[in-house]
Amino acid sequence: MNFKYGILKNILVIIFLLLIQKTFIKILSLSSLNISPDFVIIMLIYIGAREGKITGSVYGFLTGLLADFLSGTFIGLSAISYTIAAFLAGFFNTENEKFLTKYLFLVTVFACSFAGNFIYFWIYFQGTPITFPEVLVKYVLTSSAYTTIVSLVYVIFPRKRRIERSFLGEA
Amino acid sequence: MTRIGQFILGIKEYLILTVLLIFSLAFLFSNDNTQIRFLRAVAVGMFGTVQSGLSSIPNVFDLQQENKMLRENNIRLSNEVSNLKEAKLENIRLTKLLNFKETSGLGLVSANIVNKSLIQTRNTITLNVGENDSVFVNMPVITDAGLAGRIVSTSRNYSIAQILFNKDMRITVKSQRSRIDGILTYDGVSAVSVINIQKNADIVPGDVFITSEYSNIYPSGIPVGTVVDVGNLDNLFKKIIVVPLVDFASLENVFVVKYVPNKERYALEKTFQSGKK
Repeated sequence: MNFKYGILKNILVIIFLLLIQKTFIKILSLSSLNISPDFVIIMLIYIGAREGKITGSVYGFLTGLLADFLSGTFIGLSAISYTIAAFLAGFFNTENEKFLTKYLFLVTVFACSFAGNFIYFWIYFQGTPITFPEVLVKYVLTSSAYTTIVSLVYVIFPRKRRIERSFLGEA
Repeated sequence: MTRIGQFILGIKEYLILTVLLIFSLAFLFSNDNTQIRFLRAVAVGMFGTVQSGLSSIPNVFDLQQENKMLRENNIRLSNEVSNLKEAKLENIRLTKLLNFKETSGLGLVSANIVNKSLIQTRNTITLNVGENDSVFVNMPVITDAGLAGRIVSTSRNYSIAQILFNKDMRITVKSQRSRIDGILTYDGVSAVSVINIQKNADIVPGDVFITSEYSNIYPSGIPVGTVVDVGNLDNLFKKIIVVPLVDFASLENVFVVKYVPNKERYALEKTFQSGKK
C-alpha cells in the first residue's frame, strides 16, 4: 500500500512539475539562449538518489518520454538524458541518504544534470553550426548551474521526514 | 547456470539501463512514425487541456511587457493611419484637379500655395510657379471650384496672386441665370459683394456669378461665387452679398490660367477711353 502510494505520489509530483516547466518556462528563461531550470530533472535525481539506479532510470525514461511527446522536438531525446541523469543519481544512493541532505544534494544535482544536459544538448545541436565548446559553455554548464541554483529550494526548505527525524532524535 | 544468473543479477541495473536507452534510441530514430505522431497528439491534447487553465498565470507576468508593446504599436499604427488619411485626401484633391485640368480646355499651370494670408484687407497667396513656368502678371488663378484671383507679381520661380478677399480686386461678373452684369468687390472686412446692379434686377439668393466677357483679364464663364443675400444699397442699386465658390481656408493647390488678353481689343478700348477724356 505504502509502495503504491509512493509511486502515485512520485507520478503526480512529476506531472505537476512538467506542467510548471512547460507553462512557466518563458518567465524563468534566462537570456536570448532560453536557458531555463529543469524542475523535472531535480525530482528525477532525487528519486534516483533515494531509490536507486533501476527505479531512477525507469522514472527517468518514462518522464523523458512524456516530456518528449509534449515538447514537439525529437522524441526519445529527453528520455535518454533523463534516464542517464536518474541512473547516475543512483550512484549517490546510500544507506544514510547523505546525498539527499543539505549541500551534498546540490553536488548530486549538478553532477547528474550536467550529464543529462550534456547528452541532451550534444544530440540536439548535431548538424548545426554551433561548436562543441559553445554547446558545453552556453547550454550545458549554464542549464546545469541554473537547475542547481533552483534546487537550493530543497536545501532551504528541508524535507518533512528530516524534520520528523530530528524531532524523534531529540525525543 | 547459477553463476550466469548471479552475473545477470549483478549487472541488472546496467541491463535495464541498456534496454531503456535502446528504446529511447528507437524512438529517436522513428520520429516520423504514424503511431508516434498519434501518441504525441494524444499527450499534447491531454496536457494542453490542463495547461490552458494555467496559461493565464504567466500571462499576468507578461501583461506589462505586452501592454508596452501594444502601446508602441498603437502609436505607430495611429501615425500610419494619419499618414494614409492625409495621402487619401491629397489623392482626392489632386485627382479632382487633374480631371479639371484635362476638361477645362484652358492652358493651365498647376501650382502649390506656399504661403497665404486670409486675415488682412489685401489678402494674397504665394505660388511656387513663376516666370520660368510662363506665369506672368494679370494671369487668372483658378481651382476646380472657380475663380481664386489673379497674379499681381512674379519672380523666376514664385508668384503672388491677389485673391477675391482683397480690397483692390475688381472683377466684372454676370449672373449665370439672369445674365445681369455687375462688379465683384471685397469690402476689406468680411463680405464679398457685387455692386452696380440696379434695384429692379432679377437676382435672388442661390444665383451664381461667373466672369463676364467684358473683362479683359479673365476668360468668360469662370464661376466666382453664389449669392447668399440680396438687399438694397440705396434707392438705385442692390447690395448683393456673395460667397466665393473657392474655399480659401483649405486651399492648397491652384492653377494659373495662361490667358493673354486680346491686345487689339485692349489697345482699341484704351485709345477710345483716352479720346473720350
